[in-house]
Amino acid sequence: MSEKNTLIELKGLTKRYGYGDTESFALKDFDLTIKRGEFIMIMGPSGCGKTTLLDIIGLLDRATRGEYYLNGENVAGISSRRQAKLRAKKIGFVFQNFNLIEDLPIIENVSLPLVYAGYSKTSRLKKASSALKRFHLEEREYYLPYQLSGGQQQRVAIARAIVGSPEIILADEPTGNLDSRGSHIVMEELKAIHKEGNTIIMVTHNPALTVYATRVINMLDGQIDTDVKTVADANLPQPISVRIKKKKYSDVSISIPEDSGKTTKKTKKRKKSRRKN
Amino acid sequence: MAMLLRTHFKLARTSIKENRGRSFLTCLGIAIGVASIILILSLTGSVSNLVESEVDEIGADLMVVRPSSTKDSVTSIVEELTSANSFQKSSLAIPDTSTIKKIDNVTAAAPVAISTNTVVSEKNSFESVPILGTNLDYIKIEPLPIRYGAFLTETNEENSVVLGHTLSLALFNTINSTVGKMVTIMGEKFMVVGVLDKIDKTINFDNIDYDNAAIMNIESLDKITGSTQIQQINVKAANTDSLQTIKEQATAALTESKHGDTNFTVAYGDEITHPAGSLFSIVSGMLAIVAGISLIVGGIGVMNIMLVSVSERTHEIGVRKAVGASSRNILIQFLFEALILSVLGGVFGLILGYVLAFLLSTITPFSPYISWEIIAVSFLTTLVIGIIFGIYPALKAASKDSIDSLKHYR
Repeated sequence: MSEKNTLIELKGLTKRYGYGDTESFALKDFDLTIKRGEFIMIMGPSGCGKTTLLDIIGLLDRATRGEYYLNGENVAGISSRRQAKLRAKKIGFVFQNFNLIEDLPIIENVSLPLVYAGYSKTSRLKKASSALKRFHLEEREYYLPYQLSGGQQQRVAIARAIVGSPEIILADEPTGNLDSRGSHIVMEELKAIHKEGNTIIMVTHNPALTVYATRVINMLDGQIDTDVKTVADANLPQPISVRIKKKKYSDVSISIPEDSGKTTKKTKKRKKSRRKN
Repeated sequence: MAMLLRTHFKLARTSIKENRGRSFLTCLGIAIGVASIILILSLTGSVSNLVESEVDEIGADLMVVRPSSTKDSVTSIVEELTSANSFQKSSLAIPDTSTIKKIDNVTAAAPVAISTNTVVSEKNSFESVPILGTNLDYIKIEPLPIRYGAFLTETNEENSVVLGHTLSLALFNTINSTVGKMVTIMGEKFMVVGVLDKIDKTINFDNIDYDNAAIMNIESLDKITGSTQIQQINVKAANTDSLQTIKEQATAALTESKHGDTNFTVAYGDEITHPAGSLFSIVSGMLAIVAGISLIVGGIGVMNIMLVSVSERTHEIGVRKAVGASSRNILIQFLFEALILSVLGGVFGLILGYVLAFLLSTITPFSPYISWEIIAVSFLTTLVIGIIFGIYPALKAASKDSIDSLKHYR
């Protein structure tokens, strides 16, 4: 039906709020195909359906009508229990207001998706710890969220989004609550994650950030206004497991974080130099 | 799943710890309910134990004859309690004792008639002394320890009295030189022939506080009070095998001597404690209902606090759902918290109940009665309370919409 490389396919997606006179459409016959490795920025005025789209892709919300294929499987009508399971395993969320649980130390916040994905406690903490290390927060593992700056909190949230090696990372204005320095750091982190072959869909109001994207979608009244690809599909970064499969070592599968050594080192260097400033 | 449960357990523990004061008060509600149930169960348990051990002590060869027929139904027992003069209409008479004694294999038969009177000595006067009217056989059935002097004997039967340990002290300020002194009861003079050793057992099947009692011949008691009402006749059999035969024969003989009136009961073994047992079961049943109500109030407290917790943690619920928690996960998380609160309250209540029972035992003759049944019952009760009152808040938490919840800031 679709290409091997297609991650998400939306067909005729419609989301209606209210009935009769109060009827309004957040999404109207929305079609979109997302390839593995894309970094999509969704822009548009308030109320154009960006967040609704993200919620539906993230299986937090259901469309009124339409089809949603995730990895070729129609997930529009699945049970909420299965949706929860997919959220835990395949989707990572980053929110504007971070949405960390105030009462939990950040390492437990980061390991939260792993709880519901069914990892044991030790492996949860190990994975969460290495995710935090990647964002240079290893010394803050047992801090509570309010003890961190906004930028640090957002990095914790990104660590939480990637800890379970999801296929899609959804970011709803991740820099909306941050100053320019914090925004820059967060965007660099997202860029690094994207380089490793992760698919990122991000909603933003800031046109300056579109330089990070491989594709920019402008929405208007629940429909696509403009859709610009800046990187050819063939040049999209791919997750290592996919790259290996392409070379027909189909039995080998290596998870992403462990194999991201090179990029991580680069990020570290970049971070260190930034800190000196 | 087991792993998730452990995580939920840990989460609940953390949340309870974070709201220490609130959780403590909630637990207290449950604890008071459980403590009162434990108190009631342990006291009634100890009472029936006391009566049973008393019967065991006397021996399995004991049998009692009591006025009025067997009352099984709750209403008749209540009736008996509410009619003040139930013993004044005693259907047993003094000659009945000798009727029973004539039966084969009966080694001893002693009437028990208690009358309350003022006892006056040369030094003191003591009011409301239980005076036990009986006969010489009494000591054969109830082996009372004699400290000084002797029990009633054939030679001193007339106008003699045996004093309890405490009564002797109260009347003469001494126990060792009491024997031979005179006391006056209802204007009639009696000589003290014996003093009992301290017994300290107010609950027994004869219903007599021996330490405070004066014991005399039933004919003497009859003389001073005018009419003696026999509460029961204690009968000792030669062996346990003959009890049933004796019961039948005694019933027949008494019915005959009373011209067909069967307004009496012959009982042995467990039947002896029956009236006391059923009385206690009524009283303790009523108390248990009251305690149960307080437990329900405690349960409502749990529900209340869980509802507060759910609405306070709406944002957390939203986050958990966004990162992959299903509604069931959330349900179990909050149900666990309610269960832990309630079971924790149960454990506190168990301890509190036994501490109270122990304190009570120091001022009353009860001793706290601990059995695994009581502990199991209270544990299960709190578990059920936790589930009943925890399920609604948990369902409420689980049904929250994740997108709305995420917008719910504190």
